Amino acid sequence: MVEEKENTASANTAAGQEPVSKKGAKKQAKAAKKAEQKAGTAAALAADDAAGDNAADHASGRYGLSEMIQSKDKRSEREFVSVPELSSHVGKGLVWVRGRVHTSRSKGKQCFLILRQQSSTVQCILAVGDIISKQMVKFAGNIPKESIIDIQAKPVSVPTRIESCTEQLLELCVEQIFVISQAKAQLPLQIEDASRPENADEADGLNIRVNQDTRLDNRVLDLRTPANQAIFRLEAGVCRLFRDILTEKGFTEIHTPKIISAASEGGANVFTVSYFKDSAYLAQSPQLYKQMAIAADFDKVYTVGAVFRAEDSNTHRHLTEFVGLDLEMAFKYHYHEVLHTIGNTFTAIFKGLRDKYSREIEAVGQQYKVEPFKFLEPPLILEFAEGVAMLREAGIETGDEEDLSTPNEKLLGRLVKAKYDTDFYILDKFPLSIRPFYTMPDPNNPIYSNSYDMFMRGEEILSGAQRIHDPEYLIERAKHHGIDTTKIAAYIESFRYGCPPHAGGGIGMERVVMLYLGLDNIRKTSMFPRDPKRLTP
Amino acid sequence: MYELKTLLPQFDITLPTCMYELRNVSLSAGATPGPAAHQIQCSGAAEVESNNTKTGICALDLDILGRQIQHLLKNQDTTAVLERQEKVLKQLEELKAQLGQIRASLGVRVCGKTVQHTTAYHNGGLKEVPLHDVVVNGHPNFIPYALLALKNAWRDLYTIDVKTFTHSTMADIGPAAREFEANLAKVSVNPALPKINVTLIWKNCEHTEMISSPTMYVPIYGEVNIIRYLGRVGPTEYRYENSPLCNEIDAVLDICYQLLRCTTHKSQVAMVRLLDKRLQQQQYFGGDQMSVADIGVYSSLIRMPAITDKDLTPALLAWRKRAKLITKI
Repeated sequence: MVEEKENTASANTAAGQEPVSKKGAKKQAKAAKKAEQKAGTAAALAADDAAGDNAADHASGRYGLSEMIQSKDKRSEREFVSVPELSSHVGKGLVWVRGRVHTSRSKGKQCFLILRQQSSTVQCILAVGDIISKQMVKFAGNIPKESIIDIQAKPVSVPTRIESCTEQLLELCVEQIFVISQAKAQLPLQIEDASRPENADEADGLNIRVNQDTRLDNRVLDLRTPANQAIFRLEAGVCRLFRDILTEKGFTEIHTPKIISAASEGGANVFTVSYFKDSAYLAQSPQLYKQMAIAADFDKVYTVGAVFRAEDSNTHRHLTEFVGLDLEMAFKYHYHEVLHTIGNTFTAIFKGLRDKYSREIEAVGQQYKVEPFKFLEPPLILEFAEGVAMLREAGIETGDEEDLSTPNEKLLGRLVKAKYDTDFYILDKFPLSIRPFYTMPDPNNPIYSNSYDMFMRGEEILSGAQRIHDPEYLIERAKHHGIDTTKIAAYIESFRYGCPPHAGGGIGMERVVMLYLGLDNIRKTSMFPRDPKRLTP
Repeated sequence: MYELKTLLPQFDITLPTCMYELRNVSLSAGATPGPAAHQIQCSGAAEVESNNTKTGICALDLDILGRQIQHLLKNQDTTAVLERQEKVLKQLEELKAQLGQIRASLGVRVCGKTVQHTTAYHNGGLKEVPLHDVVVNGHPNFIPYALLALKNAWRDLYTIDVKTFTHSTMADIGPAAREFEANLAKVSVNPALPKINVTLIWKNCEHTEMISSPTMYVPIYGEVNIIRYLGRVGPTEYRYENSPLCNEIDAVLDICYQLLRCTTHKSQVAMVRLLDKRLQQQQYFGGDQMSVADIGVYSSLIRMPAITDKDLTPALLAWRKRAKLITKI
């Protein structure tokens, strides 16, 4: 076939360029003859097919398009088995399996079909015989990819491993096949392309990639890749662990309003929404409400919910809407009680992910090569001044009261990793001048404050502090920062009826998942990301 | 009394408008940051001088203070000058206290100055800066007992502040390591002594290794070499590089290094014989003073449970008893 193609191609170019030479004429003749032959065989094949179609179909009723399921029958006699469980059904007769057509190719009297269920795949085979007719094989070969099908089949073990599937030791001999929901024949992206491993150094491998925007435009298809399945299962794990661990530590989950009357922090980057005859804002952070819950005697609270930031920054780590995991806790005498609680919560989440989600982590690793996340237990706590000293030792000039710039932050992350071999650490005692007005100053050194940041792989994920719980002192600090106290009157008022000393912090769920897995873009860890340029799907 | 002559002629310098004035960075904010006085009068200078002899204050600060005093003197406001002087004295006191703190944290450098100088001389003039913040990575199966031994032995001389962590590559550290952690925590910390911060990380690593500063130094491998390092930065009593026993101590430590690498009981016993030869009838390895060599041998023997009392000679057994009193393991 290849040879023939080459011939016709060269003949065409020859014909188009110059008067046909003797050799060229010969070639043309040859090509014409071949084309004739091809047409002949095609006609024969068609005739054969037609004959087959016309021939009595002894398998009719065992395949076809199923009518739309409207919950007419219960069909409780059909017992379905999930793909990972198939191995225990080998040699035990027929089973029903529902899944998607991952690929299907028919070749003469046989059809190989790979059935996918989430991240698990299994090979199915249809061969013309007593049970299966030629028409059935043809039908199976023509089912569009990604259609959902029901099959009844016999699991049998195979002598050689099937490398292309997750179930490598068995295949399914299909006896019945029904299409439940058909997919469009043309897909905007191929699942194989979307799940191809990203090996930058492997030059000889197939280099077809799916662009990030194409993925996000067709998120439903993109999410079917094994890596995405794993990412969002792991994300659910982060949320679950956060809730479980904090609940165990005596925290109460609260829900805070997302439509608020005044901007909680600053005010520049809030979304305005119309609210009947007035306008309202979307909450940038649940902080005020967390603190009010503390003042209302809830002692330890956390909240999981959407947070909105109207920041027009198109970076790999900013979203306009994300899920915030926030916690606030009253303490007895020292804010380190809270710092250690938050730090230990993180360590427990990391341990939970390491121990319970190793399969998901591995699945993500198949596509995106990253180093596993390392951490210490108990978490490493460095003081801001120590961090600055480490940077200076590395030859970076930075001031004592200067905030860490993004490159310095990353460098410090690398230095800490080189010295302590941990991807997670806490920086304590930030300079007072770079923190918000409600941060409690350090009583021992006026330059510093009782505030902390936590870092994963050199990027900040949590910023927290002991908050000032004394209204008079709060007013003093607000004035020092030049803040109009009338605008924050409600905030100050909430401390007037007695409030325990408290501290807390908040993290972005997407950012934590991204950094835990070492992914390069936060859009990979948000199911339907919102950024300044994307509002759909 | 005489008047100092200014180096610069007294011009009225008109500053270009494209420049801006820097804020006065002196600690005594609030004082009138008036223009620099061109003439320095002797009284102010004398005061500065006397201050200068009291403590080694930064020259820049004094300059500004001197100028401010000048300015006030010109205004003929003596009470203000007095107040100012009080304030200056207070600041100097604070500075003194700060210096004291620094001295305390770097105690070694001050008390062991002579030793430092000579080592620098021996090294061909290389400047050595001891690092007071190091990380030790150890596997729970190869517990660096030397840390505890040194901590106990140096109880009254030097503080080794050990913080322990578990790396994510270790699921469980086991009972022996936990007991070791508890023992480390038991040793009381005397804040008055000079100290070194050690971060001990239980990690799934092949060798016990020490990382001081990732940007400046390469890691140090092996427990024995960590002992050598600590012996260098630790109290003067345990510094051995200039002692006549230096070679002897190094030889003993080298035997320990080999002992820890022995896999068969036979070869271990052979190493013990070598140690016995070195010890002979002495009180401690290399003489009648406890040294880092004893620490090395003692901690190595704990790590070798295969070596029982039967394998040790009477001299070694007696030594072990003596050492136990100091190392307390």
